[in-house]
Amino acid sequence: MEAASIANAPAHGGHGHGAGDHHGPPPANHSSRVEAPLLGMMLFIISEVMIFGAFFTAYFFIRIAEGNPWPAPGMHLPVPVAGVNTAILISSSFTLHWAEKSIKHGNRFAFKAGMFTTFMLGCTFLFIQINEYANIGFAPQDHAQQTIFYSLTGLHGAHVFIGLLILLSVTVRAFRGHYSPESHRGVEVPGIYWHFVDIMWIVVYTSVYIL
Amino acid sequence: MAAKLRAPGFYRAGWLMVAGVGFATLLTWLVRMSTGHATFHHFLSGEAVLTVSLLAVPLAFLVGIGGFDYWFYWATGRPTRPEDHSGHGAHTWKDYFRINTDHKVIGVQYLVNSFFFLLVGGLLAMLMRAQLAQPGSHFVSANTYNGLFSVHATILIFLFMVPVFAGFGNFVIPLMIGAPDMAFPRLNALSFWLLPVAGIIMMLSFLAPGGAFADGWTAYAPLSTDAPVGQMFFSIGVQFAGASSIMTALNFLVTIITMRAPGMSFFRLPLLVWANFATSLLVVIATPFIAASQFFVLLDRALGFNFFNAAKGGDVLMYQHIFWFYSHPAVYIMILPGFGIISEVIAVKSRKPIFGYRMMAFSLLAIVGLGFTVWAHHMFTSGMANWIRIPMSITTAIIAVPTGIKVFSWLATLWRGILHLDTPMLFALGFITTFTLGGISGIMLAMVPFDIHVSSTYFIVAHIHYVLFGGSLMTIFAGAYYWFPKMTGRMYDERLGKWHFWTTFVFMNLTFGPMHVLGLEGMPRRVATYAAQFADLNMWISIASFALGLSTLLFIYNMVNSWRGGPRAEANPWRGMTLEWLVSSPPPVFNFDRVPTVVGGPYEYGVPGAVHGILAPTPAPVVAAGSGMAHAPS
Amino acid sequence: MSKRRSITLAAIAAAIAIAIGIFLSFAIHWFPVQASAQAHNTDRLYHILMIASIPIFVLVVAVILYSVWQFRMKPGEELTDGPPIHGNTRLEVFWTAIPAILMLGMVGYSFVILHDNEKRPAHEIQVGVTGQQFYWSFQYPPSVTGGAEINSYDLYLPDNESVYFNMRSKDVIHAFYIPAFRLQDDVVPGITTHYLATPDRVGTYPVVCNLLCGVGHSLMRTTVHVVTPTQFRAWINSQLHASSSSTGKFSTVRGSSG
Ligand code: HEA
Ligand code: HEA
Ligand code: CUA
Ligand SMILES: [Cu+2]
Repeated sequence: MEAASIANAPAHGGHGHGAGDHHGPPPANHSSRVEAPLLGMMLFIISEVMIFGAFFTAYFFIRIAEGNPWPAPGMHLPVPVAGVNTAILISSSFTLHWAEKSIKHGNRFAFKAGMFTTFMLGCTFLFIQINEYANIGFAPQDHAQQTIFYSLTGLHGAHVFIGLLILLSVTVRAFRGHYSPESHRGVEVPGIYWHFVDIMWIVVYTSVYIL
Repeated sequence: MAAKLRAPGFYRAGWLMVAGVGFATLLTWLVRMSTGHATFHHFLSGEAVLTVSLLAVPLAFLVGIGGFDYWFYWATGRPTRPEDHSGHGAHTWKDYFRINTDHKVIGVQYLVNSFFFLLVGGLLAMLMRAQLAQPGSHFVSANTYNGLFSVHATILIFLFMVPVFAGFGNFVIPLMIGAPDMAFPRLNALSFWLLPVAGIIMMLSFLAPGGAFADGWTAYAPLSTDAPVGQMFFSIGVQFAGASSIMTALNFLVTIITMRAPGMSFFRLPLLVWANFATSLLVVIATPFIAASQFFVLLDRALGFNFFNAAKGGDVLMYQHIFWFYSHPAVYIMILPGFGIISEVIAVKSRKPIFGYRMMAFSLLAIVGLGFTVWAHHMFTSGMANWIRIPMSITTAIIAVPTGIKVFSWLATLWRGILHLDTPMLFALGFITTFTLGGISGIMLAMVPFDIHVSSTYFIVAHIHYVLFGGSLMTIFAGAYYWFPKMTGRMYDERLGKWHFWTTFVFMNLTFGPMHVLGLEGMPRRVATYAAQFADLNMWISIASFALGLSTLLFIYNMVNSWRGGPRAEANPWRGMTLEWLVSSPPPVFNFDRVPTVVGGPYEYGVPGAVHGILAPTPAPVVAAGSGMAHAPS
Repeated sequence: MSKRRSITLAAIAAAIAIAIGIFLSFAIHWFPVQASAQAHNTDRLYHILMIASIPIFVLVVAVILYSVWQFRMKPGEELTDGPPIHGNTRLEVFWTAIPAILMLGMVGYSFVILHDNEKRPAHEIQVGVTGQQFYWSFQYPPSVTGGAEINSYDLYLPDNESVYFNMRSKDVIHAFYIPAFRLQDDVVPGITTHYLATPDRVGTYPVVCNLLCGVGHSLMRTTVHVVTPTQFRAWINSQLHASSSSTGKFSTVRGSSG
């Protein structure tokens, strides 16, 4: 029973009506090779890129147009710690990829392990990030550079948080026996989001900590 | 009772909202406690609780009415409820007050909600005009007046213009492309319910201590970053409205790309679909910018960040760049779907194919592209670097070219047609007239030296209303009359409709036309009172505007009355070719018994024997039957 | 009426409408008096824009009215359709190219005017403008006064002399707008903005704040007095005198502001 209901539930609110359902609408024609949930996620990521774009615009104005020194005097950025954190986040992308591959090949154990590791790596990243905030020694109220530092990393942190919630639900479902080699869009689509969050971090890290 | 409190609906929403306030109180208290006395004197601050509540309570409401139920079940791995399509169709009026996943119901929800906010925004305009009738008037205080025009513009833009087009799109697009519904029906329902939430937030701002947000719909920093708490109602309300438009735009794009009927190639799409496609691209790309700009204001005001604090290295002009990078595209978000409506009406009512169909489609895309390159024309007098004015002025002027292509193509479509001059057509023709005038005043504004004189004067107010009222609103009226039979299954009263057109057209010009003159003479906008030299014209404008307000009531009366008791409408009263006219009025719950097949262009009027789409049984489209992924073969 | 004749008639009516429109655009005084060199230029630009736009608008309206007149459905045509014309490439190219050329011409001309208006002359005086909620004050540097800096609530300018405003804000954004000069610019906290004006007509003209700056925005007005150079000198001297007799470094003379 359960398997059937899973198959009937596309990742992000498709029609979700089953085969034996005679009261529903006629099946829609499929006029594109791209699947709806995938396309939806791609477009959503465009929006997300733009919101980061707006924050980077603020960064550009404050750092370059205003010519404020970067980092501000007395603003010490823990580059190495954040570097380690970067490595952690990037590796979570790889473990996620591993999980995705495993479910495609029907390796449930590897799938579960991959999801769990990914989730834990993400949590570690967030934990270190929060710890960094607590000990960094400056506040967003200090000056515009500190404002934009907190805003960019905070915006990204919020995305990690949302991403983790999604990963958590995928992990829970994984442990409950959902997904199969035939039906794994519910892993793939959240996966795209997580990869996006990772890539975005590389951009944030480079521009805030390194450049 | 307990069951009612647990089931999705207004009861559950009610107690969750109360819980939301509690949560906000607790959260601010905890945060302030943990930060300690060094930063905060009082651990409980009404303003802080209010600000957090503005975010928490609407979310609680949405959870309460069931906007997230399905996803919650999905995420926790519980069996999602079998889809029995009980969420489809509306059987009583009560069904319109529930989470409903039927695109036609959602379309109607959108439209009714939007027209309600048109009345609210219009009513505020009436109060403004009462204040402005005479110089030195004390009808309302200066602070209230500033609140009036700010809420007027915000409501009319974010809760009327943008969503009303989403309403038309929701109802018509799936029908036009031969789809049973939108790609993501649940997202669609959620995106509707965000709107009343945003609207109520904005209206409630009048009750906030210190009055409604009063910094115009543009909310320039740093005025907005140290405004009374009412400003937060803007910053947060806009987030909900913006989230709604992004969701709808995603939905439109995915629906149009993946769910077209067999044979419906992109160049057979009706232009309304093209227009919404173009608009949705704008929304998806631009809207995040206003979200960000309002986050910045929120952080600056509520938490003391320094985005716009010049004393601490912030950049004041940055606000305007980010704001206009959204808000210029936003004005095209508010007109492109209207262009689509006009194309439908003109082709059908002239009984001729649209002249230059492909150019019509390409010019939409050209406007989308150019629309992103002109934002600083709102900043010619902002103090930004002088050189930016040059490229922005050129790109702005160039927008006249694709827009001109559209106007001239409509005119050419009229030429030698057989014009049915009923209400939708009258509004379409009125639209071309007033929009051209508003567009031309826009072109004049693109000329820097002229803009330096009239920027921020009533000339701008005149331009705004010529393009938004004379442009967008005229297309909305045209569309409302045009699809009224399809949506309600009833005919509207043609005589009243014509009266509505003529009164609107005449009083619209009498109201907003003289504003050009005021602007040239140098009367600033956004003033609660003005120099005596402008008194006569203002009195005139106020009187005309009251008449304009009354003319709107004709429309409302006609719609309400005809919906309740108008004569039954046939399936295809206009002899239109596009697919929505192939089904009954109102359309059946699932639109089509079988997905139609498209065999020709959408506007082949006068071509002997031409058809656009057929409903007859077809070689069934290849669908992986029984895969469960009804529209998604793997 | 034959098709030929009706089109001729319409064309004549349109031509008359264009003529009347252009005539009115000149005959009516749309603007405040011209009190600066820039005002002459900007008004000329306005007239050119009108000459270019009125025919376009009239053309559009004429086609609509003509179609309504000639092509409206006649009894018996309820079920007929028009001719299936899908397009005409020559026509489409034409109405893409012509507006494009027209637009480039118009922008080009506006840049010429802009350049003219902003060209810094050999000789100019500098005047500081400070905006704050909700009034203006003006600073005359030593280079202008020949003595100490003057800070005044009145704005006096010498006739026929270019003045370069340096504008600063103490709080939020304001805009320093002198309609009779056709000039304005925002006054932005954190940066100094500028513009150049060349008053060329003696008189007093309104100055208004043209950017929403709070409750007092609509009353943030003052006047500019354009006076002859001798009168200007005399005013400066009176200000200097007033300031030297007061104890502070700069006197703040609240004038009989209009
Ligand atoms: C639906 C909304 C809408 C639309 C469609 C437009 C369309 C245009 N707008 Fe407008 N605009 C607003 C809504 C809109 N605007 C609003 C709300 C503001 C004020 C915001 C605020 O500050 O509160 C504003 C402000 C505004 C400004 C800033 C003024 C200032 O603050 O100083 C400028 C300046 O360039 C401008 C220009 C234009 C131009 C060039 C177009 C063009 O797209 C118009 C193109 C159309 C035509 C030209 C007509 C048809 C064409 C032909 C018939 C072809 C032949 C014509 C020629 C060759 C000229 N607009
Ligand atoms: C989006 C569309 C839109 C629409 C439709 C309108 C419609 C109207 N607008 Fe508005 N307006 C804007 C968008 C719009 N406006 C914007 C963006 C601004 C800039 C704001 C800013 O500076 O920030 C502005 C600013 C603005 C100003 C300038 C304020 C200032 O700068 O000080 C004025 C002044 O006259 C004005 C007037 C009107 C009038 C008379 C109408 C009329 O058309 C209204 C007609 C009336 C109705 C349609 C409703 C009729 C209803 C009733 C009579 C009663 C209903 C009863 C109940 C609800 C119980 N508007
Ligand atoms: Cu100062 Cu408006
Ligand atoms: Cu614009």
